Amino acid sequence: MPRLETFDMKIKTGKRGPDKAPWYEINGFKLDFDEMTGGNGPAETLELTGEPQSFPHSLVLVGPSEGEWDIEGIEITYHVMGAPPYTLRLGGVTLDAETNLNIWYDRPPKVIDV
Amino acid sequence: MGSWFSKVFEKKKLEESAATAVVPEAIETDEAPESALPLPRKVISAPILADADSTTAPEGGIAIKAKLDEAKDTVTFLFDRQLLDGYSCWCADRKAAEASSPLALAVFDAGGAGTVLVYSSTLAVTRDGTGREGLEDYARRIGGVLRESLLAGVEAATPDFLEGMPSEEEFRALLQEVIDTEINPGIASHSGVITLNRVRGNTAYITMGGGCQGCAASSITLRSGIETSFRNVAPKLGALLDETDHEAGANPYFTDLPAGMGV
Repeated sequence: MPRLETFDMKIKTGKRGPDKAPWYEINGFKLDFDEMTGGNGPAETLELTGEPQSFPHSLVLVGPSEGEWDIEGIEITYHVMGAPPYTLRLGGVTLDAETNLNIWYDRPPKVIDV
Repeated sequence: MGSWFSKVFEKKKLEESAATAVVPEAIETDEAPESALPLPRKVISAPILADADSTTAPEGGIAIKAKLDEAKDTVTFLFDRQLLDGYSCWCADRKAAEASSPLALAVFDAGGAGTVLVYSSTLAVTRDGTGREGLEDYARRIGGVLRESLLAGVEAATPDFLEGMPSEEEFRALLQEVIDTEINPGIASHSGVITLNRVRGNTAYITMGGGCQGCAASSITLRSGIETSFRNVAPKLGALLDETDHEAGANPYFTDLPAGMGV
């Protein structure tokens, strides 16, 4: 498991959004995002940067404290120590007061045409 | 012969304590009781989206992608067609490939292969550790061998492959007995449990639960322990697929591999 220095997220909200600043948890500890632009109201795009500087046994985006958050898609770029950054794209999901979203993924294996 | 599980998951003997347990007395206060802690949230996953297909024009009409796993020294070849329908073919060595899969035999004869698994539209090769070429170079070389073989009409399985194949019910009974008598008693000390979900053809689908779910050592338990035990009782077993959602594991036994415990 690499040490995660920072990660950037771009979250596209669908019809319903909390319109409140989200936070994340790493290894069960709650952290605020260090940079935030845009919004997570309906049809908005939110760009976030987190700087955990730690080894992520778990990394989750915390769901809203009330209501539902329709996420159309997320793009995450991980900046890990000692290796180039890598980017993943996630599809749609709905979060609520009872759910968090897993956002930690190891570097995907390389796929080539042969 | 002691099983892999009894050696690895050694139960610790509990020593009887001579001392009686001490139960603290409840302290009465006038303070109101603490409000209940919020229930832990469920962690869910969103689907991972693949990048736009960047396949170049398929050579000879056969499109092949290779997924490289450097950690396991394995290449999984993904074809644009079914290689084997309804069954999977596991070849532990060249001799097994000679008996059951001409396509796998071509891979062994090209050099460098340790094991080959043909399943659905994929063919996975784990190297034998003798070659010096990088994994990507190896993938390109073997990809060429596979394309040539398929264009020449080489089959993924011999006509005799299905001869003597146990029924799904027979597979299920054999594997369930091993789970009940060897595997689950062995991993119970780590709060682990294995469930056989189903058998399709000769492919088995399992879920690793309890302390196994999300455990950093689960892949070792699967390959070194479960797969070995299964193949000992069911030599015609093909692919063994883990359907566990390891990212949802709430209490994995190992969150990271202990020192010296490699794949």
